[in-house]
Amino acid sequence: MFEQSTVIRAIHSTFEWLLGLVGVDIEIIPESIRVVLYGLVAAGGLMSGIALSVMLYVWMERRIAGRIQARCGPNRVGPFGLLQTLADTFKLLRKEDIIPTGANKFLFAFAPMIVLAGVVAAFAAVPFSYDTETGEGIMVADIDLGIFLITSIIATEVIGVIMAGWASNNKWSLYGAMREAAQVVSYEIPLGLSVLVPVMIVGSLSLADATADQLGGNWLLWRSPFMPVVFFIFYVAGLAGCKRAPFDLPEAESELVAGFHTEYSGLRFSFFFMEEYASMTLISAIGAIFFFGGGDLFGLQGDSAILMFLILIVKILISISVMIWIRWTLPRLRVDQVMTLGYKVLTPLAFFMLLGATIWDLTDANERILGFLRRP
Amino acid sequence: MSEREIRLQDDIDRDVLIGAGDIATDEMYINMGPQHPSTHGVLRVLLRTDGEIVTEAHPHIGYLHRCAEKIGECLDYVKFQPYTDRMDYLAAMNNNLGYAMVVESLAGLEIPERATLLRIIIVELNRIASHLIAFGTYGLDSGAMTPFFHAWREREEMLTLFEKICGARLTYNYVCIGGVVNDAPEGWKDKVLDFLDRFEKRWTEYNNLLSYNRIFIRRSANIGVITPEECYDYGLTGPMLRGSGISWDLRRDRPYLGYDRFDFDVPVGQGEMGTLGDCWDRYWVRMVEMKESAKIVRQAFDLLETAEGSHKAKVPKVFKPKVGEAYVGIENPRGELGFYVLSDGSKNAYRLRVRGPSFCNLSILEKLLPGTMIADAVMVIGSTDIVLGEVDR
Amino acid sequence: MVETFKDFGFAVQTAVKGMVITLKTFFDKPVTLQYPDQRPEIDERFRGIHYLEQEKCISCKVCALACPVDCIHIESELPEKGLYDWARFDIDYGLCMFCELCCFPCPTDCIHMGKEFDFSRYSRMDLVRNMLTWEGISSAQKKEVDAIAAEKAAKKAAAADKKKAEGGDKKEG
Repeated sequence: MFEQSTVIRAIHSTFEWLLGLVGVDIEIIPESIRVVLYGLVAAGGLMSGIALSVMLYVWMERRIAGRIQARCGPNRVGPFGLLQTLADTFKLLRKEDIIPTGANKFLFAFAPMIVLAGVVAAFAAVPFSYDTETGEGIMVADIDLGIFLITSIIATEVIGVIMAGWASNNKWSLYGAMREAAQVVSYEIPLGLSVLVPVMIVGSLSLADATADQLGGNWLLWRSPFMPVVFFIFYVAGLAGCKRAPFDLPEAESELVAGFHTEYSGLRFSFFFMEEYASMTLISAIGAIFFFGGGDLFGLQGDSAILMFLILIVKILISISVMIWIRWTLPRLRVDQVMTLGYKVLTPLAFFMLLGATIWDLTDANERILGFLRRP
Repeated sequence: MSEREIRLQDDIDRDVLIGAGDIATDEMYINMGPQHPSTHGVLRVLLRTDGEIVTEAHPHIGYLHRCAEKIGECLDYVKFQPYTDRMDYLAAMNNNLGYAMVVESLAGLEIPERATLLRIIIVELNRIASHLIAFGTYGLDSGAMTPFFHAWREREEMLTLFEKICGARLTYNYVCIGGVVNDAPEGWKDKVLDFLDRFEKRWTEYNNLLSYNRIFIRRSANIGVITPEECYDYGLTGPMLRGSGISWDLRRDRPYLGYDRFDFDVPVGQGEMGTLGDCWDRYWVRMVEMKESAKIVRQAFDLLETAEGSHKAKVPKVFKPKVGEAYVGIENPRGELGFYVLSDGSKNAYRLRVRGPSFCNLSILEKLLPGTMIADAVMVIGSTDIVLGEVDR
Repeated sequence: MVETFKDFGFAVQTAVKGMVITLKTFFDKPVTLQYPDQRPEIDERFRGIHYLEQEKCISCKVCALACPVDCIHIESELPEKGLYDWARFDIDYGLCMFCELCCFPCPTDCIHMGKEFDFSRYSRMDLVRNMLTWEGISSAQKKEVDAIAAEKAAKKAAAADKKKAEGGDKKEG
């Protein structure tokens, strides 16, 4: 299955070429080992890509927050303070890895990895670009159930957070974990429902198909009047899913000190940190692909896969900037208000939108109205 | 139905939680503070919680105790003045004024008109600066960090103004026994008025950013409701009292320094966004008070033009008030700040007692916190606007 | 249900209002002072580390008496009227709270609050600052003292000479 994806094929041919240089035929390696090897290479690529982009995001977050608060933000290390995150990363790496007394050592050490692994794994099904010739998304795992895989795999993150909160042997951490469990689980419903609408319009669960469907400015956002509202639900539920303000209850610093990662330090803390930004990227990427045409910019990009990749990155960056902007403006909701919003507003609204969009799509309302307008 | 459940039913959105009340859960004790981001210093509140709901709260204080009263009894009258700065460090000018006034009334000193007006100006400016911090930290408590920095942007300008008149930015020691230390430097008045103009524009911005934000209103309205009776029972003063709709301001009702000359309103809570006497009302009283203070400053500057006398009365080198006692209560940004001094005729006070508004306002926490959620507890503590330097003294 | 939706609508509306303000601030110039590079403008009345006009000081110790925290330590001798043999004038900045109370009672107006404000040190002992520009007797005064001493010596010598001469006269007479 993985052999079919563009990225795996590219890795395969690179290996073939490299081994060919020393005169070895790639076929002597058993296929089962090769699959694992290619998977590891792809995972390493994704991981380093995410780690690098997180550095950029942290810098962005701090600079934007600074300017919003009439400050400068980091501007000392490197040009415009761009290397500040690198310096901070080295600081975090060198820090003592403290495991509190009374903590469950295994779970405490294991939790950050689960949290990060879940999000990184979800990136396998995200098409970063689109190959117009072969009609394939450039992605690690080109599977038909793309969005289904993503939504289910990021749910594992909750397990990691609960593990972290419980294993820390700290009451504040436990509160954070409980809030996370309640919040993320309840926001998966509107998130899933809102994703269902574009899936229904496109007629496929694969994100690559969604990209292909929107080429040439035919973005899903204006396929039906319900789509902007659907996108709004998706964005709000996504914010809650990534624990971003105003839904940052699990780590609410004014209430729970630092929530579930109160006791974490050094590298393990940075895993949680990376997870937050990685899931922001994931939500932004899905949002861009499902609502804003993915790598498409009204067909201006032509057939260039690289241009499409860059356009997608820009869309992700814009979305993340908006998330940062929201975070530094709004107060935090209370835990019961978050639940109310999720169950009483977003979920019914999402159902309604799903219903409306279905009817709209089934009756070909777009064509009818357009035809009516075009009539002389 | 228990009192807690009645409280919860008031809020329509909490029905989810009442349903959850049927599940038997263990209660646990949790320490909020003394190292906690939103206890405004070193307050420690021991909470007993049932899930997210606080069932019992015990504030523990004393982590910042520095024997201020005893120091006042051991030092000369004049020497104690800088120590008053360190009690309510956010409104140091007001503390200076309270102490200076009590010693003056003990010694029967007459204060020149010019000094009085300078005192009023500086004290009202300090009230704005102090309420700015109250506004900013309340934003922090509710999870919005930006209002805090915006408030500091303006406070920073005010501190520069204070620095220009007295040389210090936090512990001013500006109001002294007999008047004020320095006369206003040249051009200071224009700078202050210029700042006030800009400040009033910013004030509207603050409201759009935080006060009228629906999330913020939902977080602070209907939370920590204090009834007028409770206000009397707990001896609350200042915005805590006025937030419950009781119009009582020492500046207007027991005018000192000739506050009755000025035209200003005393804002009281209206229950606009929820119940009368909730956190939002208290917060709003502070916001409006900033504007009123600006009004007083403008009027005082007009009077200062024609004011006679120097900035300081003649005070004897060795200051020995005659045997007697005096109490002066002034309107601090946080409530009634009272100083009581008992003199035995020597160089230092025989007994000095401070009635700290933060300390008295804090006492109601034990009553307010049970029944709220942890996030609300933070908001309620924030709405009391305590300064631990003054609580513990 | 309708209430909740209305509330949600309000929340979004006011959130957008707030976001407009933060966006406006985003394009404003930051108010930060890049401290070590940009120095703050220090006001005339700023209360920083003291400076002492030693030539004016009469070592009356009024400032040390006025200090609420007793952080001023003065030791000097007065060998002769108007002469000061300085041993010590230290201010302990570990204690000092910059209240300016030492400056008011000074009869000769010789101790002032200066403009220096950054004085972190690695040890508490280093926070004790010697305010003296010279120790012992000042060079200007030393000349004076020497002159007076020389004059005195000369007088003495002259007197002795006179005595001698007188004595001689007596002898002769």
